[in-house]
Amino acid sequence: MASRADPRAGRRLLAAWLVGVFALSALRDPGALAAAALAALLLFRAGAARNLARTARAVLPVTAGLALASLAYLRLAGGAWPPAAPYLALGLRAAVIAFATLSVLDRVDLLRALAPHPTLTRLLVVTLAQIHALRLLATESRDGLRSRLPRRPGALDLLRNAGGLTAALFALAARNARDVSDAMRARGF
Amino acid sequence: MHVPDGFVSPQLALPAFAACAPLWAWGARRHLGRDAAESLPVVGTLTALAFVIQTIMIPVPGGTSTHLVGIMLLALLYHPLLAFVAESLVLAVQALFFGAGGVTVLGINALAMGLLGPLAGWLAWRALRRLSEPLALFAAGWASTQVATLAVAGALALQHRLDPGYLPTPPEVLVTAMMIPSLAVAGVVEGLYTVFAMSLLRKARLRGVEG
Repeated sequence: MASRADPRAGRRLLAAWLVGVFALSALRDPGALAAAALAALLLFRAGAARNLARTARAVLPVTAGLALASLAYLRLAGGAWPPAAPYLALGLRAAVIAFATLSVLDRVDLLRALAPHPTLTRLLVVTLAQIHALRLLATESRDGLRSRLPRRPGALDLLRNAGGLTAALFALAARNARDVSDAMRARGF
Repeated sequence: MHVPDGFVSPQLALPAFAACAPLWAWGARRHLGRDAAESLPVVGTLTALAFVIQTIMIPVPGGTSTHLVGIMLLALLYHPLLAFVAESLVLAVQALFFGAGGVTVLGINALAMGLLGPLAGWLAWRALRRLSEPLALFAAGWASTQVATLAVAGALALQHRLDPGYLPTPPEVLVTAMMIPSLAVAGVVEGLYTVFAMSLLRKARLRGVEG
């Protein structure tokens, strides 16, 4: 299994994962999907409990909600329960792909793995750093709104605040973009 | 609003990647080429901005909540194609760094949420802006949400048509489950947000709306 410190192994794991998730997305037989789920669990044993919990949180609400709505609709419209196997396959497929993705992302340092593509790496570094900086401002703004109001903020309060926050975020983003641009030019890009 | 991994087969996901490829190539040539020192930071910060706006949750009646999209704002302030590049990057960052969304469906989601939605909103804004600017901005936010949701529902319905055994949910259920919240709540929220944000941005004179 790839180590986060080894970029070559990380790249190989990323390539295998990319091929794997597309292959998994082509499966429709519940038996094959169950075998794939078992293989993924064996392959990514370390950290499996945490990633299974994250998978359940991400996949269950959507697949269970759609399955229940579909079954109820087909029962009312057709007068009979439709076969459950396709719904089981849909849930399994979504879950195996999500579990494999979370497990692989745990094991790969993406920025190191993408090092042979310096422009893409630079873009990702700038984006991730800016997400961090802008998120701090968004959190402070939300906390400020809560402290200013004597009651819990309603939808309209949050919307108005989001409008003001967007103006502040644009100002900060424009300044940060200028700073990064100057820093890149100073380094000869 | 987006399609999760596992809901669409490669039969549909791969053509969507093929449709996105020329637009991504255009974006890479324009923003990551020789003038990267100028435009790469702008694309990076706008992507971050869109990402952070999409984390803002607005509570709605019924005890649930919806999140803002904000891509319409980028389409109005800059250009629909820059908004498409930023939304594609947001989806990639969500999938690769935060384990959200999906990588096999990146093309479909980018087309729906990054291209078709903002393009429809931008056209609505251009058609209505002479009548009333706030109305045009509200229509832009509302229309972008409806078209993006309809495109996602359409992709899922097409998958059901191609292979009902793969996605057994009937199109009637898919369209109803997606369009009712979009028409009743998400579109109104995005429309109001676009009006509020744009009026404050204009007051701050940060960047004029391009025609």
